[in-house]
Amino acid sequence: MTKDNSLNFYSIFKWVIIISFVVYAVFPFLWLVLASLKTNAELLDNPFKLPKVFQFQNYSNAIQEAGLIQLIINSLVISTCATFLNILFASMCAFAIARHIFWWKNVLFLMITAGILVPLNALIIPYYAIINFLNLYDTRLGLILVYCAVGLPVSTFILTEFFRGIPKEIEEASYLDGCNFVARYFRIMLPLALPGLATAGTFQFILCWNEFIYAMLLTSSTEIRTIQFGISYFTNEFFSDYVGMFAAVVVSILPSITVFILFQERVITGLTAGSVKG
Amino acid sequence: MKIKKDEVGWLLLFIAPTLILFTLFFILPILFLLASSFTNWDGIDAEFVGFENYIKLFNKKSFVRAITNNLYWCITAALITVPLGLIIALLLSHRSRGWKVFRTVLFVPQVVSSAAIAMLWAAVFNAEYGLLNFILDNIGLSDYKNHNWLGNVRTANAALIGFSLCYVGYFMVIMLAKTASISEDYYDAAKIDGASQIQKDFYITAPLIKSTFFLCIILAVIFNLRQFEYVYLMTAGGPANKTQVLVVYIWNELTVQRLGRGSAAGVIMIALGAMLLLLLRRILKSETYN
Repeated sequence: MTKDNSLNFYSIFKWVIIISFVVYAVFPFLWLVLASLKTNAELLDNPFKLPKVFQFQNYSNAIQEAGLIQLIINSLVISTCATFLNILFASMCAFAIARHIFWWKNVLFLMITAGILVPLNALIIPYYAIINFLNLYDTRLGLILVYCAVGLPVSTFILTEFFRGIPKEIEEASYLDGCNFVARYFRIMLPLALPGLATAGTFQFILCWNEFIYAMLLTSSTEIRTIQFGISYFTNEFFSDYVGMFAAVVVSILPSITVFILFQERVITGLTAGSVKG
Repeated sequence: MKIKKDEVGWLLLFIAPTLILFTLFFILPILFLLASSFTNWDGIDAEFVGFENYIKLFNKKSFVRAITNNLYWCITAALITVPLGLIIALLLSHRSRGWKVFRTVLFVPQVVSSAAIAMLWAAVFNAEYGLLNFILDNIGLSDYKNHNWLGNVRTANAALIGFSLCYVGYFMVIMLAKTASISEDYYDAAKIDGASQIQKDFYITAPLIKSTFFLCIILAVIFNLRQFEYVYLMTAGGPANKTQVLVVYIWNELTVQRLGRGSAAGVIMIALGAMLLLLLRRILKSETYN
């Protein structure tokens, strides 16, 4: 790789652009963290001044006030179950489509992947009706089913592409050795497809974790409320305790950012994999 | 692999869960939406009313504004956000020191939920303690002291669409990933010909990732058509419906149990999405062949 170290106009332009976007995107986050450690009186003062004493009790207050632990646990349970079911179903379907010949498989694949392009938020009224009809309103299962379903097109797409890339000799050898359909899926294909499962799983988990509109549409009680829906109550719950609200927002952001920093490459491939093909 | 007769059952069983859920949450809802859009369904009773819902919607100023606002979101994303993402992707594609850190940092907002981002920026725009007013005040623009950005009819829309501009990270990363697949030979040849960095970027890299750039435009349009969280949590469509978008409109119809009317709005939204996709395909296809 060639490196051009000369300081010319273009490279100055380059750093100005990059740095200004980094500031634009990240600075508000830093401001929020700093503000969450102030008192409400200090907040109205100079926003860049450090607080006299770091008010860590804002966080303990916020966690209690908004019931953040419960919200995060709810989100974790719902996202994990939805991701598990989604990946299980999508990989079964992808295995059937990618590794077998039957006359309607292309129609099936096209139909499911076309689901990626449907603007699902237009369907809130039917979803509300269907979930009520199934008697699943305000239940975890209802939300899990919806999250699992809305992610199926992307997961099936990613996994089908992945299964297609696995050489067929391995599968054929196991077939001759007497492995049946189910064994070929569980014992041969799934282990080989682990990176693909991880990519699709990451995408699905982040989708579930960040989802807002269906959580608001399909649940109402506090016991099963997810963290994202919980956020929308902060303005009421904290009323004029702005710093408490900021602390709650910071806590709600932290899990996503931590996971992202730990699994950067996986998350980036996961979140961009759905876009490989148009 | 050819299917053996005794394995057909397994095959169907493997496809069944996905197919059932897909039918239940994709096919059925769309048919349901279409059917109920021709009724005055209020959650209990439904009567066939023909095209009345559609006619009423198009005569409503707030609905037409919702469509125009959605188009603003889409156009801003396609003409400003994605091209900005392209420029940053080109700059980071030099892979100069620290490029990975910048990529990661710019991608962070993509990982955080829209609900949290909405709360964050609502705080930035706040009239009393907001960061923006403080900065403006301190650089001498004191007209904006205590200006309520999201509550003012003139600035609400600009503030909403404006802040979302900085989240170019997603598109940038998609395009940046594509630049990794470009053969080093092109750059070596260009170097022998004496091309400068800026020429390499705009005459080699940019044309070679054109298809990915177009893909990003399509994605940006789809994302902004279903825009909901920012508007709902920051302005709820207000002030005076100025920032209304389609999904918030549908949501409001749902909360007052005008389900038939809301369904009609949903049908219009899906139709609009399909039209935009076809239009984009056409424009972008003719671009590719020129």
